[in-house]
Amino acid sequence: MVLFFTLFLIAVILTSVSFLYGLLGYIETRPQVTVYFQSNTTEQDIFALRDALLKSGQVASVTYISKEDAFEIYKEIAKDNPMLIEMTNANILPASLEIYAKRPDYLPQIAQQLENKPGVDEVQFQKIIVDRLLALTNAIKNATIILVGFLVVMATVVIVATTSFKIALRRDEIEILQLLGADSMFIIGPYLKEGFILGLFSAILATGALIAVIIGGLPVIGGYLSGISALDILPATGISLRVWPVNPVFLGVVFMITALFGILIGTIANFLAARRYLS
Amino acid sequence: MIRFDQVSVTFPLGNTALNNVSFEIADNDFVFLVGKSGAGKTTILKLLLREYLPSTGTIMVDDKEISARRIGKLHKYRQSLGVIFQDFKILPDRNVLENIAISLRVQGVRDADVREQVLESLQLVGLPGKELLFPAQLSAGELQRVAIARALSGNRDIILADEPTGNLDPKTTWEIMKIFKKIQGSRTVIFATHNSDIVNSFRKRVLVLKDGILQKDIRKGGYDL
Repeated sequence: MVLFFTLFLIAVILTSVSFLYGLLGYIETRPQVTVYFQSNTTEQDIFALRDALLKSGQVASVTYISKEDAFEIYKEIAKDNPMLIEMTNANILPASLEIYAKRPDYLPQIAQQLENKPGVDEVQFQKIIVDRLLALTNAIKNATIILVGFLVVMATVVIVATTSFKIALRRDEIEILQLLGADSMFIIGPYLKEGFILGLFSAILATGALIAVIIGGLPVIGGYLSGISALDILPATGISLRVWPVNPVFLGVVFMITALFGILIGTIANFLAARRYLS
Repeated sequence: MIRFDQVSVTFPLGNTALNNVSFEIADNDFVFLVGKSGAGKTTILKLLLREYLPSTGTIMVDDKEISARRIGKLHKYRQSLGVIFQDFKILPDRNVLENIAISLRVQGVRDADVREQVLESLQLVGLPGKELLFPAQLSAGELQRVAIARALSGNRDIILADEPTGNLDPKTTWEIMKIFKKIQGSRTVIFATHNSDIVNSFRKRVLVLKDGILQKDIRKGGYDL
């Protein structure tokens, strides 16, 4: 039970952190800082600023949106309203730079620097969302380490105690085995196997419970993520894992990690208990 | 060859279980250890099983000193010993076949060969066809036969029998002793008992112990407490 609960929490935390990282990754693919220029700012000045940004080491990429590009975007957005398009032209729209930072925590600094530059009309960046997401991710990461660490220790202690009790009940058998010349592995082996099966079985139950929770919460999650077609994690490693929409591959990975934890905890705890008894 | 050389065992509270005991037992010899309760018979068996270590002196088995603090592969050494206890020590939740099979499995005997060897052992101890019975379905005499079959399984060279007939009625005792008659000469047997009738009927070597001291070593002995 304690192992199931531990593994279930590990699976839930793993899934939550995966979603948050997927969301962070998604936000990082959006223009993170958009700087709009006054209409009298020349392209030469804008390009100079762009080059300075690229040299700063904090910026991953910068996209220049000219007045004409902006008008094309506007036309696309307002395509259902031809009157608005007729009333607008490229000259009244500002040129802009869309800036993608290398790390989200560079964003406030970049935005602050841009606000003081000549020719800059307005700086927009998703500070609040990014800040909150970063804070949440860090908090969950820290809480995860503490909580999972605590649960793993608790589960190990409980399993060691339970197995020690079971071994104590079989002390006559172990004594006979030792007198007949059984080596440690012969005696410990069945307990290791039991720990392995316990861990695997608990992981199956925990993943099953997680899937039930996800299915139950799907309308809520879908509501929060409306407009986002896909969330991926680990794109930097070249092995991108799709988190959203929830899919069998992602759940398979969660199960494998949970099973690994379960098997390790179950096997190590039983090993410690048997070892302690034999020594 | 088993050799005890000036072996003493003193327990932490100061009581002496064995005092300066020396003897040799040749391969395939049959030796009775006799003496009253507390004489030191079980201590000698436990020293050979290496459940105890001597306080002083050395014990050699087949030229290997088993009394050293550390010996490599204790389990390998124990695989050469067959042990029979007064209280049988049969696992109640395993059937006869499984109880005897343990003795073979710890030696790494292949599963395919285990059953055949168990049935051979059961034949030797006079329990053919009882391999699927559980201990609760057996009499005391039958349980001791199972214990003997377990001790004999797997080519164990030295048989240590600690009062194996102590819990049995006279008729069953003699039936058990017939099994020992069958195996004498094929393995080293050290048989601890205080039953003088058994000792006298066998006319084998007798080591007489009293208060932890080896009092007599009678080659073809009789014994009278």
